[in-house]
Amino acid sequence: PASHVLPKSYVMSVFKHFAKTKVASDVYPVINEILQKYFDRLADDLEAYSAHAKRKTIEIEDVELLMRRQGFVTDSAPVNVLIEKFLPLEYRKLLIPVATSGNKVIPNQRR
Amino acid sequence: MDEKEANSQRLKAAIHYTVGRLCQQAAADHEREFSRQAIAALAEITFRQCDIFATDLEAFARHAKRQTVTADDVKLLARRSAALSNYIQQKSEELAQNNQEQKERRKKNAAKRKTKSSTENEADMAMEP
Repeated sequence: PASHVLPKSYVMSVFKHFAKTKVASDVYPVINEILQKYFDRLADDLEAYSAHAKRKTIEIEDVELLMRRQGFVTDSAPVNVLIEKFLPLEYRKLLIPVATSGNKVIPNQRR
Repeated sequence: MDEKEANSQRLKAAIHYTVGRLCQQAAADHEREFSRQAIAALAEITFRQCDIFATDLEAFARHAKRQTVTADDVKLLARRSAALSNYIQQKSEELAQNNQEQKERRKKNAAKRKTKSSTENEADMAMEP
């Protein structure tokens, strides 16, 4: 398996941001291993969910369903709230429909 | 609101009864006793787990653009545990086979009835077991 799931500096900065205490740098190998397992399981679940909907492409619905099962998305905390809370502005623009001048909605509304 | 409460109490009582029976069986098999509190706790756990199962199954069915929960959704629910997944897969195959047999039997019966009514042959009737 790959030695780094995500860049070390990025992982540690995120971890330190959410940990409300000092973090020793030797926790990185453990976090990396956990991330590896997390992404393996994530891929496995997403594959099952897209197959369940008779698709071969993983779509936003699959990720939303996964997050619902993980308990991050609930009826009282819809996925848009999480996007607003945790993603930077440029990603929010990609994911949450915004009406721009010219009466266009970005991103293109599906369904 | 009060009616809802009474309904959930009735459901809990039904679950408690069944869980008690299952515990009795398990106790007999393993020669161990269950305390009344343990059975009550298991019943409460079962009730809440049903809540979780119901919301998950609903989400899975909606995900596949269906209104009806099917065996596929149940399999997806049990996917994480290999042993449980295998067990449910086996059960679902058994069920499917039973359904198939029943359907065929019904078809045969329907066909028989048709021929009987069309020919109205009494000798044919006597042939019936």
